[in-house]
Amino acid sequence: MENQTFILTKKLSTITFVMIAIGLLTLGASYFAGVGLDRIAANLLLNTYYFLAIGLIGLFIVAVHTIAESGWHTSIQRIGEAMSTFIPVAGLLLLILFVSGGLHLIYDWTHKDHLDEILLKKVAYLNEPFFYIRFLVYFIIWISLAYFIRKNSKQLDQFGDLKYFRKLRIFSAIFVVTLALTSVTSAWDWLMSIDAHWFSTLYGWYVFSSMLASGTAVLIIILFMLKQMGYMDHVNHEHIHDLGKYLFGFSIFWAYLWFSQYMLIWYANIPEETIYFYERHKNFSTIFYVNLILNFIVPFLALMTRNSKRGSLILLPVALIVFIGHWLDLYQLIMPGAVGGENAGIGLPEIGITIGYAGLFLLVVFRSLTKAPLVPKNHPFFKESFEYHTQY
Amino acid sequence: MYTSPLREPLIRGNKNYKQVTDDILAPMAGTPSIYWYIGISIAGLGLLFGAWATYITVFYGIGEWGTNKTVGWAWDITNFVWWVGIGHAGTFISAILLLFRQKWRTSINRSAEAMTLIAVMCAGFFPLIHMGRLLLGFFIFPYPNTRLLWVNFNSPLLWDVFAISTYFLVSLIFWYVGLIPDLGTVRDRAKTKIRKAIYGFLSFGWTGSARHWSRHETVSLILAGLAAPLVLSVHTIVSFDFATSVIPGWHTTIFPPYFVSGAVFSGFAMVLTLMIISRKALNLEDYITVNHIESMNKIIILTGSIVGIAYLTEFFMAWYSGVEFETYAFFNRAFGPYAWAYWIMMTCNVITPQLFWFKKIRRSVLFTFIISIFVNIGMWFERFVIVVTSLHRDYLPSSWTMYRPTIVEVGLYVGTFGLFFTLFLLFIRVFPVIAIAEVKGVLKSSGEKTKTTGHE
Amino acid sequence: MNKYITAYYMDEEDLMKGLRQMKAKGLKISDVLTPFPVHGIDKVLEIPRSRLTRVGFIAGAVGAAVAFGFQAWVFTIDYPLNFGGKPFFSVPSFIPVTFELTVLFAAFAMVIAFLITNKLSPGAKPLIHDERCTDDRFLVVVKVDDDSSDESISQIKLALAEAGAEGILLKA
Repeated sequence: MENQTFILTKKLSTITFVMIAIGLLTLGASYFAGVGLDRIAANLLLNTYYFLAIGLIGLFIVAVHTIAESGWHTSIQRIGEAMSTFIPVAGLLLLILFVSGGLHLIYDWTHKDHLDEILLKKVAYLNEPFFYIRFLVYFIIWISLAYFIRKNSKQLDQFGDLKYFRKLRIFSAIFVVTLALTSVTSAWDWLMSIDAHWFSTLYGWYVFSSMLASGTAVLIIILFMLKQMGYMDHVNHEHIHDLGKYLFGFSIFWAYLWFSQYMLIWYANIPEETIYFYERHKNFSTIFYVNLILNFIVPFLALMTRNSKRGSLILLPVALIVFIGHWLDLYQLIMPGAVGGENAGIGLPEIGITIGYAGLFLLVVFRSLTKAPLVPKNHPFFKESFEYHTQY
Repeated sequence: MYTSPLREPLIRGNKNYKQVTDDILAPMAGTPSIYWYIGISIAGLGLLFGAWATYITVFYGIGEWGTNKTVGWAWDITNFVWWVGIGHAGTFISAILLLFRQKWRTSINRSAEAMTLIAVMCAGFFPLIHMGRLLLGFFIFPYPNTRLLWVNFNSPLLWDVFAISTYFLVSLIFWYVGLIPDLGTVRDRAKTKIRKAIYGFLSFGWTGSARHWSRHETVSLILAGLAAPLVLSVHTIVSFDFATSVIPGWHTTIFPPYFVSGAVFSGFAMVLTLMIISRKALNLEDYITVNHIESMNKIIILTGSIVGIAYLTEFFMAWYSGVEFETYAFFNRAFGPYAWAYWIMMTCNVITPQLFWFKKIRRSVLFTFIISIFVNIGMWFERFVIVVTSLHRDYLPSSWTMYRPTIVEVGLYVGTFGLFFTLFLLFIRVFPVIAIAEVKGVLKSSGEKTKTTGHE
Repeated sequence: MNKYITAYYMDEEDLMKGLRQMKAKGLKISDVLTPFPVHGIDKVLEIPRSRLTRVGFIAGAVGAAVAFGFQAWVFTIDYPLNFGGKPFFSVPSFIPVTFELTVLFAAFAMVIAFLITNKLSPGAKPLIHDERCTDDRFLVVVKVDDDSSDESISQIKLALAEAGAEGILLKA
């Protein structure tokens, strides 16, 4: 159990800064090269939302394991906590995007003078003041709970008093409950209202399941990065096996919700609803199928055997594929409505900006990893996690 | 394996392995108590009532029911969905909680699974009886026939046939595979020759060989892996019966996960109702502790809250969609002639389980018992509300009508209760109600002795 | 006709300790009968990881192929019928039944394979060494040949006794 504190090396931080620079350069270049503003705005929304959701899932995983009194997870909870520090950064970026005109580029319902009969019915919910109020409520809840959970977890490690453990559990429970509500409504606000006429009751949970899979994938990727750098020796095959099972399970769960939503709309064949998938079949047909292959078929077949879930050989590539896959899933949720079939595409702007965001995300996560010991030794369940072995 | 001292013991009373066997097998020995006879007599009366109602339905047809042209589905499908839902807890406990390595499941999985099997039987009765001609029930299976017809694979009702029968069969073998070692125990302790012969036959020649155990663990784990998505699929497909239609209030995409969650919710409530009675009646309070009840209550809060969020989502979307039929369907649910049913559902399903956030209530056996019954009632009304309120005021106002059940329908419902309790009471006499081998497997890590001595 | 030497422990931790000692001495253990699966015993007895999962996978794949193929055949070749304007080859409609049959085939194949490999069947008459093996005893069984000398038998008995086992018995 050496290497208890993570040290952000010069080399590593340079890499992340280079990635951020690539992102900024592409952003500038796309603007001057005449890439449509709506496409740029949609890209920024896509990546901000994607990494925000990954941060939220990091915290969600910590919170759920805390209230479920899970022992094994204690060893890796610092990673989830570190992921959550991206939430305020994403909040700021999202606010800047919306205030600086992105809101009008992305969301049709903000064009108050051109609302049709259906959108007029929705004004009570889809209007700018209420939109910003909800925005603030979400971020105040998320940022404050992320702060309290991290603080109590750190204090628990410092003083080892069970008082902090109990507090940790209370904050975790509040976070899980509030996220259950806010993740659904925020998905309506930021994603579903792009196609403002369309509606689906399952939408919030569908987006959440997608984020659950990608958040787990990122957790696995960061864990392997840390192991590669010589940290996290206390994490053994069993912990990795469990994370592999999560990735496997969440991918199946995502596919289940995808099928449920698609099948019901396909079967009932009501034009107001099918138009959503019609657009995606017509102009985004490749992504429509690639999405299913990357997010369901690949993890399902690759992670079926026991051994593939226990080491980096298969699990790491699959986690990367799932990470890319759910980015594409989010792409096909946003782009058809925000940009449209003719102007959208996956080219340099998409790739460059995503690299920039990934760099920023890694920088924030690595920075916060340095601030607490990687091994939560005084956590009451740590010993269970450290001596973790199981028969299956 | 190390267990944190923070964790409460799951088996109380410093048991050793022999005591575990003795305690769990005690209800099977000797003559049943007077309460057992009273119980089975009441259940038998219910069964008789059901038999009469079945006779009336088969001889005079389903015109004896309160269903009409507008409300073509009512109590029968409500009861069907309700029973299937209850049948979700057993396999959820044995499969999903096994995958999540929840040790507390070992004390309740056996009887919960038995309950599942019985509940699925009760559920299967309703679609069969609704066919009217009970003897032609086999028409629902695709078999080469002289009519040269196949069944309609596009129909969710047919998916149901496959889902329910697969679920029943897989749950049955999963349950039985788990039962084999315990039946070996019963055989080896049997006093009479006949008993020995019967349990010898049923235990398939189990000896407890290490090789057998190794394969037994693999098979249980993979069956759990298969049963976990199966549990989800069953109520998903039941929800497709409604959601693939274009009836306002039925066609909504959230139905699949929301039905599954509701099913687990009601299933756990029924498990709690039964467990709280049986732990007392069978002297198993050392095995089914307050700790177990608390864990189940946590699942009740989880699933109950998911159901609550789904209600709110549906309601919001009915307005947000801007579809007037959808909006009216939900307005009618909450404020129409069946509003009483809607508010019973809301109170029982959304409000009462939230009381479990308080640790005192969560750990109180009496409160848990009361709330579990509330949840059972609430979940029945949920299905009633979905089925009847969506149908009785359809697109065509001239055919709007009300529905009220007849005594025959009540008889069929009571009859399934009779069947349920008769079979459950027989089960506790014939099979060990707790998975003996599994409890022994966690005795060292979760028994009381370990806790007090700090033994690892 | 084989002979068996049996000896038992009353606790699985003593059993594991004893088994390791016996293994170190090169004693060939034929079987261990326990009331519940003992953690780590597979390694000591060198029981290979079960391959039943492969049976499950293959049967599941067969189930999926049969179910999907059959539905597709019925609706496109044998009896194409228009249901609600859906295409004859309507993949989303075929998924539920395909899934159910995948699970059904896999589960049954695995359980049947489990029963066959373990030679378990209704009414099987196993050799019961000790009726308390399914209760609270952990029994070690060593098979000895019919013609083995008394000396080797007593050696085995000694090894068992040294490893702390109780109730050492020779059974014909």
